[in-house]
Amino acid sequence: MTLETSVLVVDDEERFSSNMVKLLQVNKIKAKAVNSGEAALKDVAENQYDVILLDVKMPGLTGTATLKRLREAGCSAKVIVLTGHASVDDAVELLNTGAYDYLLKPCKTEKLLKMIGMAHEQKMMEDKGVS
Amino acid sequence: MRSERSYELGPLTELVLRYALPGAVLIFCVLSHFAEAWQSVLMGLALCLAVLVTAHTLTSKIRRISLRKSELDIQLIQSQKMAAIGVLSSGVAHEINTPLAIISQEAELIQHAFGRGVLEGLKEAPEIKDSVAQIVLQVDHCREITHKLLSFARKREAISQETNINGLIEDMVQLVEREAKLNNIRINRKYAQGLPPVVTDPSLLRQVVLNLLNNAVQAIQDGGEVTASTGLEGQNIAVMKFTDTGCGISKDDLANIFNPFFTTKPPGKGTGLGLSICLTILERLGGTVSVQSEPGKGTTFAVRLPVGRRVGQ
Repeated sequence: MTLETSVLVVDDEERFSSNMVKLLQVNKIKAKAVNSGEAALKDVAENQYDVILLDVKMPGLTGTATLKRLREAGCSAKVIVLTGHASVDDAVELLNTGAYDYLLKPCKTEKLLKMIGMAHEQKMMEDKGVS
Repeated sequence: MRSERSYELGPLTELVLRYALPGAVLIFCVLSHFAEAWQSVLMGLALCLAVLVTAHTLTSKIRRISLRKSELDIQLIQSQKMAAIGVLSSGVAHEINTPLAIISQEAELIQHAFGRGVLEGLKEAPEIKDSVAQIVLQVDHCREITHKLLSFARKREAISQETNINGLIEDMVQLVEREAKLNNIRINRKYAQGLPPVVTDPSLLRQVVLNLLNNAVQAIQDGGEVTASTGLEGQNIAVMKFTDTGCGISKDDLANIFNPFFTTKPPGKGTGLGLSICLTILERLGGTVSVQSEPGKGTTFAVRLPVGRRVGQ
């Protein structure tokens, strides 16, 4: 992974999202945080990301609803769902909605970094295939 | 049952009908043979006796009823307590996961700062580093516990529906496959074609399959294979097998692996709840789970479920 990988962190817990940005940055990933689904949709309309880390339980637009809206808006970023409280059934539903993968909080940064790397690789392959 | 029916009739009514009234009639018949002067004295004594007998019988009956009531109260309190623990553990696990994640992030950021040399020249540096490493380790352990608590808390009434077990296993294989690949583990599929749908609770069965697949992947250290297969035994038993080429389980450990809190993983790595949850779920679904293992060669877990039986029958 290099600075070319750009990640948007969407989580209503501000400390969590700002720490996540710092951890991604020390691992040489370009990262930004927003704290709601609505803010994510607005940001994605103006900026492009390779990977989006998305929380599920948020006030306002939930993670699942945000994911649907992102797909409707044609966002091609790979979405990794990061949640503190989802079941296997939720995971299957989110994957069917178009999430790339799913991780339970708290997750190991090492594991998350590997997943971001794989998601980015797949996105690059898909982008090349399309163009 | 009899005591419950008597209680419904009303203890006082029953006692009056059963003891006091016949007693009084009997005493009255006896007294009618004595002189009139003695009659009122004896009548008084008889009434006192009747009252005493009635009071004594009534007291012991009330005591029995109270005892039965307290037993029922204890059962009720116990079941309410268990339900509350379920709700509480779910809530606690939900609420704790995010703070745990933040603690883990903070510790990791501190470790990054150590890497930049902020502790250079400090005598206590090794101790501080060790303390932070402990925080990371203990958060990891808490994480495993809260994730397992969520599985426990999700106990609910089972819902039967026709389920394609090949499709269900494939969904779970895809969930674990990415991480398995990272660890150089290949997952083989050997699904039998033309299997009849199994009438079961897919949500609960997913938990079992995911747990067994995760165990299989975790049993392999440096690359290997996991095979998920399905089949039919006779006409009515669907079989799902999960085989790994991992470290295997010793004979002594095999006897205990389904016991809650028993784990063969290193301290702090496993909660020992996964397989006991699987066993509990399969008992509810009317199924079984068996294990065959050879240390150093690998392990196979086999889940058997009746094809047509509805949950709870």
